[in-house]
Amino acid sequence: MFELDVRSRKPIYEQLVEKLKQLIINDVLKEDEKLPSVRELAQQLTINPNTIQKAYRELESQGYIYSLKGKGSFVHPSGKVNNEEELKKVREELKKLFAEAIYLGVSSEEIAALLREVEGGQEND
Amino acid sequence: MIEVQSLYKSFGKEAILKDVSFHVQKGSIYGLLGSNGAGKTTLMRIIAGILKQKNGHVRVLEEEVFDNERIKQKVVFLPDSLYFLPQYTTRQMADYYSKMYDSWDEERYQKLKRLFQLDEKRKISQFSKGMQRQVAFWLAMSSMPDVLILDEPFDGLDAVMRQKVRNVMIQDVAEREMTVLISSHNLREVEDVCDHVGILHQGEILLERDLDDLKADVHKIQVAFQEEAFHPEASGLDILHQEKRGSVFLLIVRGNEGDISAEMKKHRPLVYDRLPLTLEEIFIYEMGGVGYAFENIIV
Repeated sequence: MFELDVRSRKPIYEQLVEKLKQLIINDVLKEDEKLPSVRELAQQLTINPNTIQKAYRELESQGYIYSLKGKGSFVHPSGKVNNEEELKKVREELKKLFAEAIYLGVSSEEIAALLREVEGGQEND
Repeated sequence: MIEVQSLYKSFGKEAILKDVSFHVQKGSIYGLLGSNGAGKTTLMRIIAGILKQKNGHVRVLEEEVFDNERIKQKVVFLPDSLYFLPQYTTRQMADYYSKMYDSWDEERYQKLKRLFQLDEKRKISQFSKGMQRQVAFWLAMSSMPDVLILDEPFDGLDAVMRQKVRNVMIQDVAEREMTVLISSHNLREVEDVCDHVGILHQGEILLERDLDDLKADVHKIQVAFQEEAFHPEASGLDILHQEKRGSVFLLIVRGNEGDISAEMKKHRPLVYDRLPLTLEEIFIYEMGGVGYAFENIIV
């Protein structure tokens, strides 16, 4: 389903959370779709099942997935949840990129145009 | 699952383990790290019930393990120097194991034969070091232990074999909550597979923690400021290590990520980068803290 970068400094658990979030946000994993079980994923990726369990718990507490006892974990219908923590992170990232863009001489009009492009792309989906 | 409490062991006058306490939960993969001569192997031999401690308790599956046949049935220990009965083939060893372990699974043995692709009728002593290690894993994983204790397990295995062995081990952890205790010097290996780590140094446990928590708690920070107004000591941060290269500070800081970045932002940094530490770096800085430091000696 996906690969992890075991050479990365980023903890495997964080990588898992991020990858799964990406898959949910980009609709690769659809609403109410079942996620692979901890056992399956552990075997596929050769990573510690406890790490996967922890990543699933984190995704659940952030509202991306829900779990049914004995059945497994599923994508939450409102996967695009309001999440303060996440928003804060994204804002920080944006600020960093904006700063870099401005430094390199990108005008605010160009940034606005890029934003419109991204927005337009999503509406056409 | 494994509980070690105020363990003391000495050989002659020399105390090897002074006051060791730690705890491994069921279904966990626990990495035991330590400096050379820290007592890792001795500790593992005690947990496996081969040696007897002088003081303290070792409980495996809720029972004292020494001379306890019922518990030893459920524990497999792979020492760093392997032992096979002289002149035995893998098949003969397998028959021996099947008599020793009630939980022996012949079907599993046959399945693993396809994985390892070794000739079971050849004498084990004729195999290479790495192949002997494969035989040891083959026998261990066919015995279906509840607790698997591994001392430097991946020594001598090639990259493909390492991955295969790890994969089989992880399946058992996922499917039947096998508990694994691993000691290794290869910290990358431990980092990839363990969920908890303990660091043993001079016969004592320095720290014991969830690996992800441990990593989330220590940060490598590169930061540069416009004015020379920043003094790491005055910042109120818990700084384990600092270096200054030109106008760039390299800091190893313990604490919550949010607090640290908030503190740094106050000083309006020109550059602020945070990197998670690798287990190797954590090990080096923690050991440095107790005087087991790296020194750059020119010889």
